[in-house]
Amino acid sequence: MLVFDQLKKQDSQLRLVAMVLAAGFCVLLAGLWYVQVFSSKKFADSLEDQAVRSVRIPAVRGKVLDRNGQALAENRPTYNVELYLAELGKHFHAEYLRIRPATVRTRAEREQLEWAARYNVVSNITAQVSDWLQQPQVIDQKKFQRHYNEVRALPISILQNLNASQVARFAERPGVFPGLDLEIQPLRVYPHGSLAAHVLGSLTRDESSQEEEDAFYHYRLPDWKGVTGMEGVFDGQLRGAAGTKSMTVNRLGYRQQETMLRTPEPGDNLVLTLDLKLQRAVEAALVSSMFGVQTRGAAVVMDVQTGDVLAMASAPTFEPIEFMGRISTEHWTNILNHPVQKPMLNRAAQENYHPGSILKMLTALAALEMEKLDPKEIFNVEADPERPGKGCIHVGNRKIKDTVANGPYNFKKALMHSSNSYFIHQGLKPGVLQKMIMLGEKFHLGERTGILPRQETAGEFPDQTDLVRRWQPGDTANLCIGQGKVSVSPLQIAVMTSAIANGGKVFWPRLVLRLEPSDPQFGEKVSEFPPRVRDDLGVKPENLRLIHEAMLAEVEEAGGTGSGAIIKGLKIGGKTGTAEIEHGGKIVDKTTWFASFAPVDRPKWAVVVMVESGASGGKTCAPIARQIYEALLKRERDAGQKNSTLASLN
Amino acid sequence: MLARPNISEKPARFDWVLLCALLGLMVLGVLFIHSARYATESGAGVPWFKQLHFRQAVFYALGLGAAAAVCVVPYQTLARWSYVFYWASILLLVLVLIPHIGKAAYGARRWIDLGIFQLQPSEIAKIAFILALGNFLARPLDELKLTGNFWKALAMLGLPFALILVEPDLGSALVLIPTGFVMMYVAGIPAKYLRRFLSGSAIIVALILVDVLFAPPGWQLKLQDYQRRRLLVYFGLDHKYFAPPNATAAELQKARIQERNDSYNVEQALISVGSGGLTGKGWRQGTQNVLGYLPRAVAHNDFIFSVLAEESGFVGSVVVLSLYAVVLFAGIRIAGQARDRLGKMMAAGVVALLFSHMFINIGMNIRLMPVTGVPLPLLSYGGTSVICTLVAAGLLQNIYLHRRSY
Repeated sequence: MLVFDQLKKQDSQLRLVAMVLAAGFCVLLAGLWYVQVFSSKKFADSLEDQAVRSVRIPAVRGKVLDRNGQALAENRPTYNVELYLAELGKHFHAEYLRIRPATVRTRAEREQLEWAARYNVVSNITAQVSDWLQQPQVIDQKKFQRHYNEVRALPISILQNLNASQVARFAERPGVFPGLDLEIQPLRVYPHGSLAAHVLGSLTRDESSQEEEDAFYHYRLPDWKGVTGMEGVFDGQLRGAAGTKSMTVNRLGYRQQETMLRTPEPGDNLVLTLDLKLQRAVEAALVSSMFGVQTRGAAVVMDVQTGDVLAMASAPTFEPIEFMGRISTEHWTNILNHPVQKPMLNRAAQENYHPGSILKMLTALAALEMEKLDPKEIFNVEADPERPGKGCIHVGNRKIKDTVANGPYNFKKALMHSSNSYFIHQGLKPGVLQKMIMLGEKFHLGERTGILPRQETAGEFPDQTDLVRRWQPGDTANLCIGQGKVSVSPLQIAVMTSAIANGGKVFWPRLVLRLEPSDPQFGEKVSEFPPRVRDDLGVKPENLRLIHEAMLAEVEEAGGTGSGAIIKGLKIGGKTGTAEIEHGGKIVDKTTWFASFAPVDRPKWAVVVMVESGASGGKTCAPIARQIYEALLKRERDAGQKNSTLASLN
Repeated sequence: MLARPNISEKPARFDWVLLCALLGLMVLGVLFIHSARYATESGAGVPWFKQLHFRQAVFYALGLGAAAAVCVVPYQTLARWSYVFYWASILLLVLVLIPHIGKAAYGARRWIDLGIFQLQPSEIAKIAFILALGNFLARPLDELKLTGNFWKALAMLGLPFALILVEPDLGSALVLIPTGFVMMYVAGIPAKYLRRFLSGSAIIVALILVDVLFAPPGWQLKLQDYQRRRLLVYFGLDHKYFAPPNATAAELQKARIQERNDSYNVEQALISVGSGGLTGKGWRQGTQNVLGYLPRAVAHNDFIFSVLAEESGFVGSVVVLSLYAVVLFAGIRIAGQARDRLGKMMAAGVVALLFSHMFINIGMNIRLMPVTGVPLPLLSYGGTSVICTLVAAGLLQNIYLHRRSY
């Protein structure tokens, strides 16, 4: 080596020093080679992790459709003007130079000036654009600072929700304002407002990752999560799979390029059993009661042959869209969380009521099945000495009032006038109570129907064990007329009425027909939810027919309590009910009912109407049911017309 | 070549190879200090004459001037004044420890603030030490065999060593050991003394380490906590063993976070160097540095090599190593050609000093050495360091220029 040759031969010390130096260089060279060449891939990867930001892109949420494919909940594009800060670097600097005083002493002063410059530029652009689009908008300084510090690579949204003419205006002047872009984002909309709100439910802002998804993202675009109703129950399917975009960040933290790592997969469409037009008619009918929009009540229309819920309404209602924005405390306490109105409550399934006289259907069926009730047999209702012209019955040492006049009653007359005495008399016959409990089990009273998990109540119905413990004849009397320890939801009554109408099949109420891919090209399988029979009553058809006839009489014959529902050309079998709510021995409120089905000779539909604090089942609920039946008839006519049009086309 | 010396040929007046290598390092220094500071300075609109790469260029010019001045006076004359320099530098080292004179930064008193310029006495002490020890060891070989002289030489090393250690500046103190050792070795001090010296310094270093790492707080050398933690990181010791025995879960958690923060610099430096790959990302394109993963406070001085390695890759690293090799081997050649033992020792001392700095600094960038505040000669930003390095290089030129002046 050159250096070694030059050293004098005898100069061993310097030779050793030179060798140690050479060895040192070799060690460094080897170390550098190991780090920079041999294992550089590893370090490049860890560097990659630091220079790349991942962005979560939510998938387009699936639609919720009615049984005819009409949208109840869908998405609409919203147009937002977004500002990319990366392109404003020069403007920031120019503004900084402009506002800078002659001397800038401290670092803090300089930083403050820099912030002021950035904010000036951004708010100027915002002002110009909002002026141009005639949508006044001011950028919040704090919000801008936070955005700049935390998510500089993402554009800042400066104008939201442009309308069509604003979009057009914006497009007229491309490139005039620096760094601006029009961004399209899908947004959930409920095209019919509050229609079927309780079934659809609502969404809330969501910042978390779903299962089987990367838990960590640098940035997240806004996403929504279903919390209640169908949006909540089928959230996983509606939501689809979020995608991932990776964004390379340049050395100043701005976005340089993006690549889509995983495209978001849109969620499935959910097809409900509801019929949009019918639902609308039912909701309109419900608020046509004497209370108008203040009505507190519910109505359920069920297909008795399949258990399909064709309409389910609860009043008062709410607008699901409200939950996507900020709800003011005032609005929440005064309206949404009102202690009496409770618009959020789905009265069709989420609340329990005493059934009152509509449970006499069950009492009658039990007595008939036990062959204790002969429809021809005459029962004499005794007179109430305190109320002339009215009847009563003594059970033990207790007197139970009757709403009907004293005198002779056979089965049909008793049902159509809804005599308490008659049915208590039947229920007290040996074995009838046990049969009632058994039938209640078959109807699955006191159990959830499974239609909306977590938003349904089970209700209450006595079981065998209750009979053992301190059961008094008075309890039996109460049960026979749907008072006391029994409470139900309108949906449970709809299932019960359907079973009585269809010959004994108790269905699981069905609300969802199928889940289908939002775009057929995805070719995913459609998941169908076929009708499911939950139980069979196993009762004699002639007994059911007796009940049908009596129910028909209640609506159609003179003196029947359900005459408010009468429609020419449709045979409706109905049972009214007025349950009394006692508090401290006094009657404080009433729940009025009308449970019905039609047509009686070939049952298709069950219609159950319940109104809180109504006058009586016959006066308040039966007219609502009549309107619903009219809508059902119209629906059938329309379908017939469509079919005939199709037939003529063919 | 030297076997047939050609006396008639006029000896080269100047070692151009050495100068070119130094100039090469200076160019790289300006370029990469600019790159390291680019993100901070360009964004903030710092005027060009206040930017650090420009200041570094000014230091280079001052250093070259100083080096030229050093060359004018023959090194023998300088050596005669060496004790004055030595004691002056010791005085500075004492002054820097006095609170109102020495400026504290990051918990250490290493600088004397002169207004426009911050003087780092330890850098000056290194040069003064080389001059003084060279002068001392230049006595006849027989005298070096006396035990008393060996101890005196050791004392000359020990005094600045101790003063720098209490600043504290562990790295700068430690580089004195190989420098002194090489000078003694080259001077021809008997092997038994050298062995003692070696084993002695090994024991001292080991004691310092054990003291710093394991001794109870009252007995510890007054190192700053961060220096202690750097060593913990280097030796891969878990911080939680050093937490007080009755530490709560929160304190242990804190220790763990501290450990992660402490190893952060090293990790990021390693990522920078490694991600450079073979050819690097290009000048001013190093994401590690610009995005601030490599802490901005150290990127332009202690960790300048990481910036350079990230942006110019293995190729750039090899260029830097080659430039240093040219400088250092030129130094050894100058030592070999020196006309007397004084020149030879001083040249060897300069070589050892520069090599130690380079080895420790590059070594810590690739995790070969613990992190200490030892600058990379000429590349790291720092006035005193640059000027002293150039003065040391001037000393080499001086020895070379006067090799034939009989």
